Amino acid sequence: MDQPRSDEDQQLVARTQEGDVVAFDHLVVKYTPRLYGLVYNMTSNHEDTNDLLQDVFSKAYKSIRGFRGKSSFYTWIHSIAVNMTLNFLKKRGRRFNLSLDDVDASIQNDKEFLELTQTSSPVREADLSELQVRLNEAMMKLSDEHRAVVTMFHIQGMPHAEISKILRVSEGTVRSRLFYANRQLQNYLEEFRKNPVS
Amino acid sequence: MNEFNENDIGTLLRLKRHEQPPPDYFDNFLHEFHRRQRAELLRQPLWRIALQRAQDFMLQLNVPTLTSYPAAATAVVVCAAVLSLKVYQTPESATAMPAVATVAVQQQAAPVAVSVASTVTDDDESWSLSTRDFGSTPFRSVSDGARTHRPAASPRYVLDSTPVSYEPSLRF
Repeated sequence: MDQPRSDEDQQLVARTQEGDVVAFDHLVVKYTPRLYGLVYNMTSNHEDTNDLLQDVFSKAYKSIRGFRGKSSFYTWIHSIAVNMTLNFLKKRGRRFNLSLDDVDASIQNDKEFLELTQTSSPVREADLSELQVRLNEAMMKLSDEHRAVVTMFHIQGMPHAEISKILRVSEGTVRSRLFYANRQLQNYLEEFRKNPVS
Repeated sequence: MNEFNENDIGTLLRLKRHEQPPPDYFDNFLHEFHRRQRAELLRQPLWRIALQRAQDFMLQLNVPTLTSYPAAATAVVVCAAVLSLKVYQTPESATAMPAVATVAVQQQAAPVAVSVASTVTDDDESWSLSTRDFGSTPFRSVSDGARTHRPAASPRYVLDSTPVSYEPSLRF
């Protein structure tokens, strides 16, 4: 997933800082789908994601005058989203319900999906919605910090360096968390492989 | 049967990108954002709204580029302190000056009055009038006191010779 052009963002940020509300609307429209994916895959709940995303943009609008451009707007807004989501997850605790979005019909044409269904028996044999639930359950078994790294790396397609900037940790820490999370997910999904329909 | 390897995990997780909200969700998100902002604005107290408006106005003037906030705040405080000192001290000094002058004149006048009282009698009107002019009347020295004898006073005579009765008798 490519990063948006930062010079275009800089112009929109500068206009917003000068009081141009429409410029911030452009930033909201531009970043909503990307941030939605980030927050949704960390919470596995559509309603929580919607509320959090509204709060993220509201906080960004209030704080944008203090944004000095030391990092890109992309990194800055993602940092706000991740931190707010992590704080929310700590408050929410373990008691929550999955509220999953529908899987888009375009998945049937996804090259990776087709390959997976041809080679991996658990995926081939499982119902698509079942696979979705199992994946989300496995994700929610990870700690919040590990889930954030997995979401950003595997789902959002961010490089390690960008994740380290957003989380303000070293790249080594990012790689370590990713390795540990992958091992955990493999263990969780192994049950799914052994018993795909249970 | 192969186990899930790391690539499989990655591929499975990438499929989660296909989990999407309802089609009109992103279209309505901005409207919902505006609605929430308005609602939040209405919940704010009036003074905060006024403060934000003032900040917006100052930002339009581009004041932060001219000076930093702490420097500006310090300058305002110093100016206010200097002005308050000037405002509150000027009337007091203005009223204090005549008082000091009066005291000085009184201190100057006091010896004159004393000296006049010691040298002039009550019935000499001209002297008493002249001594009231503090600025023009010079101090009188004690040696001038001899001239103050009144002309009407009876002359005094001093006998240089001893009385006859005290002269010693003739001795032969």
